[in-house]
Amino acid sequence: MEATIEVRALRKTYGPTVAVDDLSFTVAPGQVTGFVGPNGAGKSTTMRMIMGLDRPDGGSALIGGKPYRSLRAPLCRIGAMLDASAVHPARRARDHLRWLAQANGLPARRVDEVIDLAGLASAAGRRAGGFSLGMRQRLGIAAALLGDPPVLMFDEPVNGLDPEGITWIRALLRSLAAEGRAVLMSSHLMSELEGGADHLVVIGRGRLIADTAVGELLKAASGDRVELRTAQRQDAMAVLARAGATVSASGPDEVTVAGLTAERVIAALNGAGVGFTGISEHRATLEEAYMELTRDAVEFQGVAGREAR
Amino acid sequence: MTVMAPYRSTVEPEARDGFGRLLLAEWTKLRTVPRWMLTLLASVVLMVLVALLSAAGSESTGQGGGSSDPARLQKIDLGHYTYQPLAGDGEIIARVTAQRGGGAWAKAGLMIRGSVERATPYAALMVTPGHGVRLQTGYENGGAGGGTAKAPRWLKLTRSGTAVTGYESPDGRAWQRVGSVRLDKLPENAMAGMFVAVPDEVEVQRQFGGESVSGNPADTGARFDQVSVSPAQPGAAWRDRGAPGGPAADPGVDGRTGSDGTFTLKGTGDIGPNEFADDSTKTTLTGVLIGQAAIVALAVLMVTAEYRRGMLRTTLAASPRRGRLLAAKAIVAGLAALAAGLVASFGSMLLAAPMQRSNGLEPPPLMDGTVLRAVLGTAALLAVIAVFSVAVAVIVRRSAPAITIVLLLLLVPQIIATGLPLSVARWLDRLTPAAGFAIQETVTRFDQAIVPWAGFGVLCAYALAALAAAYWLLRRRDA
Repeated sequence: MEATIEVRALRKTYGPTVAVDDLSFTVAPGQVTGFVGPNGAGKSTTMRMIMGLDRPDGGSALIGGKPYRSLRAPLCRIGAMLDASAVHPARRARDHLRWLAQANGLPARRVDEVIDLAGLASAAGRRAGGFSLGMRQRLGIAAALLGDPPVLMFDEPVNGLDPEGITWIRALLRSLAAEGRAVLMSSHLMSELEGGADHLVVIGRGRLIADTAVGELLKAASGDRVELRTAQRQDAMAVLARAGATVSASGPDEVTVAGLTAERVIAALNGAGVGFTGISEHRATLEEAYMELTRDAVEFQGVAGREAR
Repeated sequence: MTVMAPYRSTVEPEARDGFGRLLLAEWTKLRTVPRWMLTLLASVVLMVLVALLSAAGSESTGQGGGSSDPARLQKIDLGHYTYQPLAGDGEIIARVTAQRGGGAWAKAGLMIRGSVERATPYAALMVTPGHGVRLQTGYENGGAGGGTAKAPRWLKLTRSGTAVTGYESPDGRAWQRVGSVRLDKLPENAMAGMFVAVPDEVEVQRQFGGESVSGNPADTGARFDQVSVSPAQPGAAWRDRGAPGGPAADPGVDGRTGSDGTFTLKGTGDIGPNEFADDSTKTTLTGVLIGQAAIVALAVLMVTAEYRRGMLRTTLAASPRRGRLLAAKAIVAGLAALAAGLVASFGSMLLAAPMQRSNGLEPPPLMDGTVLRAVLGTAALLAVIAVFSVAVAVIVRRSAPAITIVLLLLLVPQIIATGLPLSVARWLDRLTPAAGFAIQETVTRFDQAIVPWAGFGVLCAYALAALAAAYWLLRRRDA
């Protein structure tokens, strides 16, 4: 069985509202895939359809080639944390994991293993109602790992966590992916995925905006631009324009150069004897790349929002 | 992009796809919420408490002889009986010349029975002022015969083996067969004689919240002549069985007088079914009306607590097949209620018994089939109510409405039925889930709406219908 999630032409409507619209993507094994979109973009709805909880109005979602509802011991195929607070407050953490293990015929030792894995050993005997958000997230992650599944899915796992918790989850997801698992993690903030995800699926208003590797996205957003600081702005612009670059003045002694690498800019300036005091390659942040990607979707949302009223 | 071998789970599920593991998981869920277990305990405590209260509040009120055997409670065997031994096959003939008092169902006639012990089998041929000539047996009303014949009337009752056949005649020559009954285990040496009996005058007043039954003993009398028993036993004297003593044994209403082959019998009380018998088993188990509230709340919360917290998604993620999940929840809720019900109903009977004895009442015999049916049936009743509650909770998804709906369906028919005419009340008790409480009845009373097992069946049908609707919704709806 393959460790993948395949979403094919998935569609979900609530009355006149289209929550997910012809959405297709694949979550591949061995990497962390970030599932990004603004609030209300349809991330949670998509995840619920993957879990067989909500019925799609069209298309399909397959776990390792099978629909969720046909899985016999689903916790061994896919582990998911959709809502960390979905625990009965009067139940002890260990008992919560115990009934989950029983429901899938998992050996009782797994309960202790995932408690250790999630760093819950000291809290396992306590009732979940008294847990902090961070502890509930850990309990949810422990539950997702019970069946040691090849596919993992987390809905906003770092939402509301302190920096320490964010670092812990990021490292955990990375190590899980490094074992060859497919990991899907949703977030409405691109910054949460910075340094955490290898691949991105970006959606807005239920539609796919981008399905790309993080590196490529950044490269596209950065656009090979070089920032140059020089007292001889006019000379520099003339020289570089002659060398084939697109140049624009971005300040009294600053020039933005596009179409040339930093090395070629330096070589051209040195050849013409134009001095400069600083040069840097521009690197877009994931956030900037995301803003650029979703700008259209957000604008469209604004227009649609006005029409709806 | 790096290509690497997909991860393979190192955990293999133990049992392959067993339903048992779902049951175990649902039981763990129930067991690990302390207040749910307390609720279960509360249902037991409430039921036993009500049993003790009702035992403390009830006292013996004379008539009935103290027996609490439901079969015995159902039978009234009073009136006046004047008899001789009857050895082997034979017959008794007499003419009822006059009948006085007691209304349309006053009875005067002949009776063959194996023993004068109360509530033993008999065959009685009688003339009545309003219902003709009848052959009755088995402490049941009606009987073979009918017509409009009144006293004076000739009656003949013959015994052949275990068959007893009745005949009537206007003149003692042309006999017409009324009917025949079989008295199993009728001993070789039986008794044959004359009797008078009469049903009490009973008035039932029904109002919201309850009913009051007031009975006045009626009395009747009849004159017999031309009495002959064959084969005749030389020197056999007539003996009497009258009222069981106490104020009713007033010679003015109970006794035998007469001479020269004429007998005048006076008596009070009926021979037939007791439709107003106290159902002491049902009274002892009446706590189920309160105990069920805790069971309903528990069974509903097992479902709605999951809906409220989004936990149902976790549950459905772990067991995606809706039908099995619903079945597991219903079975676990049902079994938990059954266990609580068994403890509560046996506890009620056993703990109430000493109090009933000290109040002069004989506690219902637990080993009697009918009593046992009521005791086990009470536990089964709670189990089905729990299943019904689970189903309604899945349909409604919210605690307060679900609990209200179930309790209203179970309680309201019983409350408003008392304020409705009996015929309407009967249908209400037959067609609503409240019919299930019939399983607790150990005596057949005048107002019985439905026989115990049928009533239980009605409740089961409701539970199954609700389960079917719940299954359909659970499959269709987004979780």
